[in-house]
Amino acid sequence: MYFRSPALHILVVEDDPVIADHILTGLHQHGYDATLARSGGEALAAFEPNAHDAIVLDRLLPDINGLVTLDRLRRKGSTVPVLILSALGSVNDRIEGLRVGADDYLTKPFDIDELAARLAAITRRNHSRPEGAMIEVGRLQLDPASHRASFREDALVLNRKQYSLLAHLMCNADRLVTRSMLLERVWAYRFSPTTNIVESNMSRLRAALLDLGCDPIETQRGAGYILRSERCL
Amino acid sequence: MPLTPRLAAPPGGVGRLAIQAGIAFALAMAAVGMIAFSAADAWVSSRIDASLRYHTAKYLAPPDGHAVADGELIARITDWQRRKVLSERTYLLFDRQGRRMAGRLDLMPPPPGLSDVHFYGGGRSTQTGRAIATQTPGGSLFVIVQHSEAAENLHALLPSVVLLISLVAVVMGVSATLLFARLTANRLLETQRAADAIAAGDLSRRIPTDRLDGMFAVQAQSLNRMLDRMAELVRAQQLFSSNLAHDLRTPLTRLRTLLAQGAQGRPVPFERAERECAAIIAIFDALLRLAEIETGQLPRAMAPLPLRPLIEDVADTMEPVLADHGGRLDVGRLDDVSITGDADLINQLLINLLENVATHTPAGTSARLSLERDGEGALITIRDDGPGLAAGDHARLVRPFERGAAAGDARGSGLGLAIAQAIVRFHQGRLELGDAAPGLEVRVRIPANEAFSAAASAAPAAA
Repeated sequence: MYFRSPALHILVVEDDPVIADHILTGLHQHGYDATLARSGGEALAAFEPNAHDAIVLDRLLPDINGLVTLDRLRRKGSTVPVLILSALGSVNDRIEGLRVGADDYLTKPFDIDELAARLAAITRRNHSRPEGAMIEVGRLQLDPASHRASFREDALVLNRKQYSLLAHLMCNADRLVTRSMLLERVWAYRFSPTTNIVESNMSRLRAALLDLGCDPIETQRGAGYILRSERCL
Repeated sequence: MPLTPRLAAPPGGVGRLAIQAGIAFALAMAAVGMIAFSAADAWVSSRIDASLRYHTAKYLAPPDGHAVADGELIARITDWQRRKVLSERTYLLFDRQGRRMAGRLDLMPPPPGLSDVHFYGGGRSTQTGRAIATQTPGGSLFVIVQHSEAAENLHALLPSVVLLISLVAVVMGVSATLLFARLTANRLLETQRAADAIAAGDLSRRIPTDRLDGMFAVQAQSLNRMLDRMAELVRAQQLFSSNLAHDLRTPLTRLRTLLAQGAQGRPVPFERAERECAAIIAIFDALLRLAEIETGQLPRAMAPLPLRPLIEDVADTMEPVLADHGGRLDVGRLDDVSITGDADLINQLLINLLENVATHTPAGTSARLSLERDGEGALITIRDDGPGLAAGDHARLVRPFERGAAAGDARGSGLGLAIAQAIVRFHQGRLELGDAAPGLEVRVRIPANEAFSAAASAAPAAA
């Protein structure tokens, strides 16, 4: 599908057989290699730093709970990216999970595309961009200081939300970014709006980019958006 | 639900209390008796001493001032003995060697001054008296002894009187306590019966106050008020649950119908099924969020929060949403006001209120958002030009699962305004729905964070 990187190996820790099967099948379809551990103990025994690129971790496990499992991993010095996948979804639960050392937190019920996209985001090696530097994808440029977007000879100034949206998509070029990821990272909202906030703002941004003569954003039906770098040339 | 086992009153509890109270009362009364007796005793003694001094002066210091010789004293004593056969008082004169020169009492010469003396008198056993001894100018010792039957009787009476008072006090204390306990128990019995009936499930039961008086009536009224409030909460909770069940029934029924289509071999419209699931999940998300806010389980991210940039950001976000609905979002006056708040909750509040305009009004409805600073703090107003609400809906709609008549089958958790209300309450504010004629006006008042607001309004010149 969207991910052309060499198959990443994911350790899935999940005790519910239906959900586990759903995750494994889904991740295979998205080009991941995935193995299953049915309990915290099994996960700790199976985990090998060089063999696993990320862990999908349930919180409510039959033996050691997910947070304790994660804590033990982190105490052993492991920096493997961990995504907690749990039915416990309150703000407190999330904060607790991230505090113990999770890299992302997804609440059940979840969408498999969402899970795959978030795994892609946390397994990516972060090449940090200097603060305030010009963001560039191909010939599309975005200036953080003036919120000016320019493509070839044309330029226009975006409003704050359009700027943040475009900046996030450009920093994650060629990767799927889901609506909920955008709500979390561009808006920093921890609630679920009932209207199409992301879609409405995205269509404004795309209209602006069309005026520039560059429309690199692709809608992935039901899942989210990808900014294609090859369309910025 | 943890049930508290019913505890029977420990047997004899009131009896023990009565005995304790009786003993305490008796001790107090005995102390009072002893104090009164000592005072009376001291008073009688002082009167006797004064009388002794007076009579000494009468003998030794005659009004004409001449020095009284021993011979004259002996003569006066002898004369007095002749005249008074029976008297409480006796006069004696001893020479320098302690030999009795006059007087009839068989007594060793006491030391000069006042003292208590013992002597044999009238063939009876030892008697006690009070004596005053004075040196005469001639060197002999003049002694007056007073034997007071009254004082002696008073002394003899003391133990029995104190004992009697104590006994009476014990009886009175015990019976007063028993009576008081009985009266109290009778009054508490009504409360206990009501509490037992409520514990058994009769939530409408109240404590009858017509036979109660004083603090018992006040306490019963206060308990009844508490019971009214609790019954109200239980009713609200029951209504909430049944509304929730009803609201979930609709998407679940649709979902089941779609699945049944599949079972009959017809194609299942997966996207519609997905939408129904999303609706169910949205209700639960909103419900959990509401509980999180109302029970104060949120981590306290309360901090000084300037509202103006937050509202500008929300306006930027929601403007395209309202535009897609065919309307506009205008931003009116924006004052610089800060509150103490949780930015995420205030965001949700404003997004919720603007989403209501986008989802519950006819296409083309516009809204205006403004922020003013007034005497009470921050006033956020969201006014739309839609059809507004029916007169009775303003109060009703802030309750969970209540929908406006115009909402029709509009989607949403039915909890939007309830959540908004909870967020405003969490910030010690008020949410009011009003008629904007035409349209709806939602006013949110939140107390300002004064210190921070003042600093912020002083700063913009530099910014």
